[in-house]
Amino acid sequence: MNLVKAELRKLVYSRSTYGLLLASIFVAVLSTVVTPIVIEQDETGVFGSLEDRAMVDGVYANAISSYIFAIILGILIMSGEFRHGTAVATFLASPKRARVLIAKLVVTALAGALFQIISAGLSVLTGYYTLTFFENVASPSESVFINLAVASVLSGAVLGLVGVAIGSLIRNQLIAIVSTLVWLFVLEPIVLLLFVDAGKWLPTGAITGMLALEFESEAIGVSTADYLSPGISALVLLGYGAVFTAVALVTSMRRDID
Amino acid sequence: MAAIEFLDLGKKYGKVRSVRKLTASITEGKITGLLGPNGAGKSTSLRCLLGLAKPTSGEAKILGVHYKELKNPLTQIGAVLDSRGFHGGLTGKQNLKVMAAAAKIPDARVDEVLKLVDLEAAANKKAKGYSLGMKQRLSLAGALLGNPKVLILDEPANGLDPIGIAWLRGFLRTLANEGKTILVSSHQLAEMQSTVDDVIIINHGMLMAQGSMKEIIGEGTLEDAFLKLTAGGAR
Repeated sequence: MNLVKAELRKLVYSRSTYGLLLASIFVAVLSTVVTPIVIEQDETGVFGSLEDRAMVDGVYANAISSYIFAIILGILIMSGEFRHGTAVATFLASPKRARVLIAKLVVTALAGALFQIISAGLSVLTGYYTLTFFENVASPSESVFINLAVASVLSGAVLGLVGVAIGSLIRNQLIAIVSTLVWLFVLEPIVLLLFVDAGKWLPTGAITGMLALEFESEAIGVSTADYLSPGISALVLLGYGAVFTAVALVTSMRRDID
Repeated sequence: MAAIEFLDLGKKYGKVRSVRKLTASITEGKITGLLGPNGAGKSTSLRCLLGLAKPTSGEAKILGVHYKELKNPLTQIGAVLDSRGFHGGLTGKQNLKVMAAAAKIPDARVDEVLKLVDLEAAANKKAKGYSLGMKQRLSLAGALLGNPKVLILDEPANGLDPIGIAWLRGFLRTLANEGKTILVSSHQLAEMQSTVDDVIIINHGMLMAQGSMKEIIGEGTLEDAFLKLTAGGAR
């Protein structure tokens, strides 16, 4: 508990935490505000119509799109120790490094979940408000908000863990963040293009699977029909967190501290 | 009784042998100077002692055990390894409160150690705005947080002005008089001569000499003895 308290203090005292939360809220809010506008402006019919319940669900589902900030939070919490040189003080206070890592994982999971719930919550509210400006908007399905809440908590917590593991594997903070962004926004889309069926097993695919959305568009080559069920998706996401954490524990946490 | 022991300690980084079969012991209740030229292996030896680096061979013990085996180590050992060990975006006080939480030390002790090192006035200033001397004092405050029996200080006088050095000398002597064991590494030989009781001199990772100040310097100065022992030392 002492180490968890110490990690919580680092998080609360650091201004970057609040900056990251604001960025997370901004992106989530922007997603639900812009999506209905894009759907209504589209004349090709590729995205469907807001009269369609699945599309309205899709608008609200975008509230979860700030998950990247949970990963960055985890990276900052771990690699920040090496960037600021505080790793020495941290591991002098607790030379059993696994305990430090576990404390960081606990705090990051809590903070990541909180980040996502706040961001998604505000995003749903602004999405709801934005949709009032459009006519003949379908009602969202009853399950979308529950699924969204569960997916927010789980994705925030698990992706935070993944961030900590990445931060302990790649100690250079900038390289860790850039590598993650490259993976999510360059490599994953390439993998998806080459192996369409693999999408559901990737972290972003698992997050989408947790939302249980119904969306299909041949024009943009997206169909959620083949995605995993919310429960399996959650397990896949937890699996990623467990693998990354195990790798961090048996590799980087044993290296010398400079 | 030895508070700190290096037993055949060896440490390699790739093909470079930073420390070779270092065997030395530090007596309780004294100030011991760990001296050596740049790259002699002083900091590496201390890092091995504190569990931050894994020895390639041999071992280093503190209070009879490996550092990792100590229960709540900050309450037994205080260490200053460099002045970079604090988060610049946090105030000096916040940095210490993080350490205090990790070691289950009451927050009231944070104010006490800030007062001890004359940093009360700058307690709520962000650490990135501290001068090098202030950072050294903050590091010392961190080392004293748990009121430890043993202090390990790596180049604590670096960046201190003459007033700061004089303050540090008096400070260390006060701590030694309280019965604390202090191991301090430094380049500043004249300063060390007037501060420490015992001396360990290493070069190229090997022990060159160990003894009381009088045994090491004889009728000369510490600088004379140091240059004699380290000039063209064993490779």
